[in-house]
Amino acid sequence: MSESKSSIVELNGVTRTFRQGDVDVLALRGLDLEIAPQEFTTLCGPSGSGKTTTLNLIGALDRPSSGTVLFEGHDLGALGRRELARLRRDRIGFVFQAYNLLPVLTAYENAETVLALQGADPQTRRERVMELLAAVGLEGMEDRRPDQLSGGQQQRVAIARAIAANPAVVLADEPTANVDSETAEMLLALMERLNRDRGVTFVFSTHDPRVIDHARRVVRLVDGRVEKDERR
Amino acid sequence: MQGPKLAKMAWRNLWRRRRRTLLTLVSIAFGGSLAVLFTAMQDRSFSDFIDSAARLGGGHVTLQHPEYLDRPSLGRTVADSARLRSVALTLPAVERAVPRITGQVMLATARDSYGAFFVAYDPEVEDESTLAFVDSLTVGEPFEGAGSRGIVLGERLARNLGVELGSKVVYTLTDKHGGIVTGMERLSGIVATGAPSLDGGLCLLAIDTLRPVLGYAPGESTQVAVFLEDSRRSTAVARQLAAEVGPETVALTWDETQAQLASFIAMKIGGGRVMEAIILILVAAGIFNTLFVSVMERLREFGVMMAIGFSPGQLFRLVMWESGWLALLGLVLGAVVTAGPYFWLAGNGIDYSSVIGDAGAEVAGVGFDPVLAVGIYPRNLVLIILAVTAATLLAGLYPAWRAGRVVPVEAIKLV
Repeated sequence: MSESKSSIVELNGVTRTFRQGDVDVLALRGLDLEIAPQEFTTLCGPSGSGKTTTLNLIGALDRPSSGTVLFEGHDLGALGRRELARLRRDRIGFVFQAYNLLPVLTAYENAETVLALQGADPQTRRERVMELLAAVGLEGMEDRRPDQLSGGQQQRVAIARAIAANPAVVLADEPTANVDSETAEMLLALMERLNRDRGVTFVFSTHDPRVIDHARRVVRLVDGRVEKDERR
Repeated sequence: MQGPKLAKMAWRNLWRRRRRTLLTLVSIAFGGSLAVLFTAMQDRSFSDFIDSAARLGGGHVTLQHPEYLDRPSLGRTVADSARLRSVALTLPAVERAVPRITGQVMLATARDSYGAFFVAYDPEVEDESTLAFVDSLTVGEPFEGAGSRGIVLGERLARNLGVELGSKVVYTLTDKHGGIVTGMERLSGIVATGAPSLDGGLCLLAIDTLRPVLGYAPGESTQVAVFLEDSRRSTAVARQLAAEVGPETVALTWDETQAQLASFIAMKIGGGRVMEAIILILVAAGIFNTLFVSVMERLREFGVMMAIGFSPGQLFRLVMWESGWLALLGLVLGAVVTAGPYFWLAGNGIDYSSVIGDAGAEVAGVGFDPVLAVGIYPRNLVLIILAVTAATLLAGLYPAWRAGRVVPVEAIKLV
């Protein structure tokens, strides 16, 4: 995938309609949005405003009903299932609200997964994963399975997994929703540090004011459109 | 992600629902075990059965006059049985080759007369391993040489004729040229095989005693019975012998000379195959259920895996690995479960003669051992292993395909 211009993601006139029973629900109504490298962006807005749908489209998990989604200059609508899988593996990191670590893998193996999928050699994988687990404060916990870790620890493993392969962007859905305040602050500080020190681009979908407070760009969505795009 | 990683993940996935996996393994193991034991009983009983049939007169391969099969007659003979024996014994698969004269005879005593089937043999080259009746002798003495005098009768036949050891028995038959000839011998033994038609209609004579009566030259007989180490090589040996014995003689396999018995065995084997197929379908259904439920429970997880970069093919292979592990473990467990009963049955068997009763055990005129034992052909064992493996992998195909078709955004409902 070649780098394209200054933005990683461009959504141009994107609409997304869902069928619910006999009714068509318009989740996005001509959304225009660009995400540039090293941004720390939050998508916020009320329920049903289109945050989740937007992240799905940026993450190559969904396709627009109309309009285009360009990821590093490539139109995602033109890519097949395998190419989308490769794009997600190589260029996108995901942090989920419910952590979604693979339960049969240890913390180390979870963090290593994407690198293993890429076919990186064992030595490279080991160095990278150990460095990341240390960076997220999980040294000595490499061999623990998810059910042996707290929620905050699991989310830190998920962050390590998301950035292990140096993705162009990390998409985080409500990453602090399932953890206590102290852990939430710690996770936000961690992601901020990764953004500042390593240049990792983050896009959040959240209701959490703490996340919004940490963001350097806040995009407020209402009824499937950008109501406000504030840079700090 | 390479194979070994997927294999490791698949292995661990299996044990997330330990009880369900164990139950599935037990069903595979018992299904495989059932198929093996069932097939082993068939293989052993049919193998014994064929050997018994061979020992009744024709051998595994019979060298005889080309027209004898369709029109049996004491006039249709092979002239030089010694040469035929020599030819047969040069083949490595051949264990024994013996000359015999077989045919129909009328027996008469002072009390009554009965028709019977006779076998005239050479006691110097035959024993119980080639002639089943030899070890069924319950009264009297076996023949000592090819020219021994005397006649041995089936138990019921002797009773019907009202004879005891030493009693005179007159036998009448057609000679080589179609003339009626008569001989007389004294009863020298009685055999009890347990097979009603044999005990009621069998007569044994020494071959050199009968030859002059029939007008046969020395070495002339109606057949040379060829015995093999393994009856499954009959066709190959018959083909080899046919090429060497000349146009005056044909080489027939046991299933050609005993077509009725061959049909019975083929029918039984066919029934067995249906039974095995049913077992395999049941095993496959159990595995399919386990894998399908397991996949449906993990759709969200597959969605996450797809989101972080697993390809549909990798998810497919992951589930197929789970299926493969189930097959392997099921087979190992199956081997453990089967070994004990198999070796016990192979060594001891189950005697069901009390179930059969006095009627005896006989099919198509061939008496068989009323002890149920096992002894599977290696080829059939390999086939069962392959079939169980294939059934397991086939049962995994749809769940694996389903895993690979997960739409991440629908499965996760999260990002």
